[in-house]
Amino acid sequence: MAMRQTPLTCSGHTRPVVDLAFSGITPYGYFLISACKDGKPMLRQGDTGDWIGTFLGHKGAVWGATLNKDATKAATAAADFTAKVWDAVSGDELITLAHKHIVKSVDFTQDSDYLLTGGQDKLLRIYDLSKPEAEPQVISGHTSGIKKALWSSDDKQILSADDKTVRLWDRNTMTEVKALNVAMSVSSMEYVPEGQILVITYGKTIAFHSAETLEQIKSFEAPATINSASLHPEKECLVAGGEDFKLYKYDYNTGEELESYKGHFGPIHCVRFSPDGELYASGSEDGTLRLWQTTVGKTYGLWKCVVPEEENAEAAKARTTLPGTAEEELEDLASENSDSVYSSTPEVKA
Amino acid sequence: MPHACGGRPARGGPGEALGAAAVPVGVIRLPRGPEGSSRGFAPSSPRFQALGAGGAPEQRQRAALRERYLRSLSAMAGRRVRFAMHERVSVAAVFGASDIDVLNFQVSELQTPLGVQKEALLRCSDIIAYTFDLE
Repeated sequence: MAMRQTPLTCSGHTRPVVDLAFSGITPYGYFLISACKDGKPMLRQGDTGDWIGTFLGHKGAVWGATLNKDATKAATAAADFTAKVWDAVSGDELITLAHKHIVKSVDFTQDSDYLLTGGQDKLLRIYDLSKPEAEPQVISGHTSGIKKALWSSDDKQILSADDKTVRLWDRNTMTEVKALNVAMSVSSMEYVPEGQILVITYGKTIAFHSAETLEQIKSFEAPATINSASLHPEKECLVAGGEDFKLYKYDYNTGEELESYKGHFGPIHCVRFSPDGELYASGSEDGTLRLWQTTVGKTYGLWKCVVPEEENAEAAKARTTLPGTAEEELEDLASENSDSVYSSTPEVKA
Repeated sequence: MPHACGGRPARGGPGEALGAAAVPVGVIRLPRGPEGSSRGFAPSSPRFQALGAGGAPEQRQRAALRERYLRSLSAMAGRRVRFAMHERVSVAAVFGASDIDVLNFQVSELQTPLGVQKEALLRCSDIIAYTFDLE
């Protein structure tokens, strides 16, 4: 019995969602933070999309957001020229780090002791979070605004992307190790520690590079301009989304397009796999976050696998008696499904 | 064997009806959204209870330090205390009490360079340091 993907829509933001990040797996599950142009980043339970809280304090669009591994701290980068560190349990603002221009990217080290920031002033900054008033270490070299800055190689190196280059820096010497020129404007970058893989997107290209040498491993072309891509933790598939509002899933080994989904009402700005690889989240210009199953039909989070024989009765029940759902939301669910476009029907093993 | 990424694309093998109506995966409910104007982070959540209000370690430390200081003030009551003031002035007195904001100390038998003052009020902003012996 073929199953159709039912994406879960997380509403709440009032403007485009431009960045999202998952935490690691904690004793309380895993969490998701979304950066939005409305200036109010939100924390959600990662496997259900349930809203937990909103970080209030920024006075401008939030361009980047991240969580530390155990989801006890959050960091955000905003157009108000500040990066902020938050207590992700209480929602309290802990530290405000003033910058000289729009901040675009923030990343914690594994021990959460340092925060890396990058933005329009073309400088990378490393803050010691135990001494937030102290001047950060500054690394210069980029010739255009930094879009993304990430710790790599066990926090011994830094990867940063601006408009046309991706650079690798040594954290101790604060000098550039390698630079990669990219043909078109880099739209996103993801670092996968296991395997030291760097995922970069530019134009319609999804490229995979060695995080140590910056040499290209492979690349795929999508049917439309891609804004973000994410590699599955087990590195068997990847997902990407962009300007045509669609999500694409590819086989990492063969490059074959496995699935594609419509659903968002605007370009997709960010897409990320959850730490357990069971779902992926997409953030869009339409102001929503959507959660998608990696294995369609599997019981996980809010998705419930229904046994085929009982399907008709169960599905009818599900469609009419979902608690707390308005008629419109059920209609949306149905119409979203009818919009789904498959390149091939995924096989579901019970 | 289940494939981590959700299975291989179907190749239209025997028994596979092409264009068969696919059934949408059921959901038990929709994700919960923000509640009105609340900023969330419910203190009733298990995570909040366990991990405390995040900066709790620091808050607890601050509370512990303040409690120690307040106890030191009450330990000082009735004892002789030596105060180091500005302009290298040093005076001794019997400590009485502090006001609620620790802005003034009520002392008696204040030994000043000009003589002994039976009752006096010392401005805390004039005090650099003070010392007393605990028996």
